[in-house]
Amino acid sequence: MIVEAADFADGATLAADICIVGAGAVGITLALELGRSGLDVLLLEAGGTRAEAEVQDFYRGTVTRPALHNPIHEYRERRLGGSTTIWGGRCMPFDPIDFEWRDWIADSGWPIPYSALNTYYARANRICEAGAFAYRLDDAFDRAAQPMIDGFAGEAFSSDTLERFSCPTDFGRRYRDRLAALHNVRLMTGCAVTDIGLLASGAAVDRLTLRTRAGATLSVKARHVVLAAGGLETTRLMLASDGVMANGIGNDHDVLGRYYMCHLAGTIGDFRPRAGSAGVWHGYDIADDGTYCRRRLAIRPSAQRIHQIGNFVARLHHPHIPDARHGSGVLSALYLGRVLIPRAYRKRVEASDPFGLRGTARHVANVGLHAPEVARFARQMLLQRRLAERKFPSVVVRPRNHSFSLDFHAEQEPNRDSQVRLGAERDAYGMRRLEVDWRYTDRDVATVRTALDLLAADLRRSGAGTLGFDPDQVEAEMIRYGAYAGHHIGTARMGTDVRRSVVDPDCRVHGISNLHLAGAAVFPTSSQANPTLTAVALALRLGERLAATMRDVAAPAAIAEPERIVAMAAS
Amino acid sequence: MMRVLVLGADGFVGRRTLAAIERAGMTAIAGSRRARTAGGKARVIVNATDRGSLAQAMIGIDAIVNCIAGAPATIVANAVALFAEAGDRRVVHLSSMAVYGDATGRITETAPLDERADGYAGAKRDAEAAARGNVVILRPGCVYGGGSPQWSARIAALLAARRIGDLGAGGDGCSNLVHVDDVARAIVAALSPRVKAGSIYNLAMPDAPDWNGYFLDYARALGTVPIARIPAWRLKVETKLLAIPLKLLEKAGGRFPPAIPPSLARLWRQDLRLDSSRASADLQLAWTPLAAGMAEAAATSRPRKAA
Repeated sequence: MIVEAADFADGATLAADICIVGAGAVGITLALELGRSGLDVLLLEAGGTRAEAEVQDFYRGTVTRPALHNPIHEYRERRLGGSTTIWGGRCMPFDPIDFEWRDWIADSGWPIPYSALNTYYARANRICEAGAFAYRLDDAFDRAAQPMIDGFAGEAFSSDTLERFSCPTDFGRRYRDRLAALHNVRLMTGCAVTDIGLLASGAAVDRLTLRTRAGATLSVKARHVVLAAGGLETTRLMLASDGVMANGIGNDHDVLGRYYMCHLAGTIGDFRPRAGSAGVWHGYDIADDGTYCRRRLAIRPSAQRIHQIGNFVARLHHPHIPDARHGSGVLSALYLGRVLIPRAYRKRVEASDPFGLRGTARHVANVGLHAPEVARFARQMLLQRRLAERKFPSVVVRPRNHSFSLDFHAEQEPNRDSQVRLGAERDAYGMRRLEVDWRYTDRDVATVRTALDLLAADLRRSGAGTLGFDPDQVEAEMIRYGAYAGHHIGTARMGTDVRRSVVDPDCRVHGISNLHLAGAAVFPTSSQANPTLTAVALALRLGERLAATMRDVAAPAAIAEPERIVAMAAS
Repeated sequence: MMRVLVLGADGFVGRRTLAAIERAGMTAIAGSRRARTAGGKARVIVNATDRGSLAQAMIGIDAIVNCIAGAPATIVANAVALFAEAGDRRVVHLSSMAVYGDATGRITETAPLDERADGYAGAKRDAEAAARGNVVILRPGCVYGGGSPQWSARIAALLAARRIGDLGAGGDGCSNLVHVDDVARAIVAALSPRVKAGSIYNLAMPDAPDWNGYFLDYARALGTVPIARIPAWRLKVETKLLAIPLKLLEKAGGRFPPAIPPSLARLWRQDLRLDSSRASADLQLAWTPLAAGMAEAAATSRPRKAA
């Protein structure tokens, strides 16, 4: 059911079996999962159902080096559905190697194996509306498909794995009715948690303090609390809750907020397939369930081991849009019409090195020469993206000059010095704002540079084409737009050693019996994969474990009526 | 040998029921409005809303299966007439899960019926209210299978036209599917005197998929994949703009695409899960697995490919 924060008088206390803080992908998944358990669940969301500037303002903070990281009120959303209201929808599982301890990457290794999550991925895919959990070409499609690159046979790279896309599903819109129909789940929007109050012993959460938009201060007493507010906000809430523990909750050993990872991404190189662009399939295949799937070049675990680098994937991409020499009418139209492109994507279209009037003239000529192609593209964008609920995920253009670039997405290694911490400024509720000091390492650069070398060698050896890139430009391209936006990973890492981690393998904060974290904050490593799918899978695991734990412990008297069950014996 | 009169014998459920009764070693007599040869089976012409006609048809009959469908008034008139004339004969009466109205959650046979419903659901409720004597009431969910006009043929046509597919939140409701052969087996089991008079049974396969799941699996069986994601606004256009003209055309006769009335779109969202564990236990039903049921349905209701 949906309850209104405004209906509670100042000073009121709400009780629940489980209180979930944050109604984004993770919090909503957890609430739906626990909805089946009959437990009394309270799901809190600070924002409302729309984007509102004064609510979003609570997310403002400072960034130590603005060139390297986006302002932190961007690429995350304080409202129902969280950042799924703006995400791109790429749903990728982690690879088994991501969970292993890799002796060449310090602080790598998860305390749980891949198999602990594998059982939840299929359901996570369903909840994210990314179709079946099938990520290899042969598993996802019965029909024969054109190879990604004709003649490619890689030693270090495979080309038969897929990426799959969510609609992209806004979890708030998609699951609001389901949440409303659950009798044992209460969703309350417009109430922000401002403090996690511990018992004096520090061994458990006593109560949460909430501020509502109407100005009331409320309390929540819950048997268990799950923070699912995203990697940044979860960290902020724990650091700021310093009433009992001076360094914040779960921060006895100065780990909370450290090891902050995003991903390293960029566009680089000049790939020329031997057979020209006709010998390349870099578009989308549509699975039976309707999801868009796309082939990618993924580095094999063996190559990661041999060359002691992190995980890495690359997609074939169109050439640099501002450079009119690509000869593509579609890309030129995008360049000329860039003011119409959503701001989040526009920076990729804008030229860092302007091509001047002659460049513009050439763009106009490209559009004129290929007008039918531009019209077809516009029609597709209208019908399959703008008007569609399952949206065509990106711009795919077959380059006329037979030159592709590589769009890469690489793992960032855990680094203690990459950190988010509390700054001096405060928000309207008096909570200290965050300060982000994101950093990358030489090994991160080496991961990308080595992977590109290996890919170039694979292409050359198999005779599938040539890949040219400037090794000295790798670092610059990698950080051209700074840390990959919207992936906030590792700030409350999972581990068994209380001195080097924040939560245990059950996602419970070390030393605090009833506080759990959900979301990418607990990932010890970042993988090549986008974090949402794995965060959802972990939430399913946490929900199942919480429900099992609470079944074993006698429930207190007053619990809301469970899902309607009409007893057969009554007849 | 037990002689069983099947009313509504030319209907989708009636035809399968005739065969199931014969297979069980009883004699089935097809009761129908029309004179038509039914593959050598015994046949009697009967007006199922008329007491006199029913009384005539029931001479020498030991039990009756009531599969009458039709307009709400027909449904009620048939029930009133039948139960007035049936005497102490066993009547297996086919009701519907529609009697539960817009209830949600897990629903067993003791759940209250929807008192406010009119139309089809109201008629099914009133028909149940008229039931008396040696009756067993069956409340099936959505009966699918080869020849099912509603839950196989119509769905197949809508899938082929890509008018339905992945409905998002619009397809989250439980399908409560039950294969027609399972319904026929339940009917045969309910004819047994071991089943107590006055018993009521929900009929739906356990673990029935949600509608989105059914549409995807059925599209696979039909070969109409990939399925389309249907935006909420498209369903609104269907139910608010297209449904009435399509329904009128259908009534005027001829072959037109099926309509998606608002009630259907509501059902696809409805979070009602029929609990059929009582039927599983008492009637000893082994439910047809969905894959097998869909394969059987797809073999008959595959839409003809355009030339």
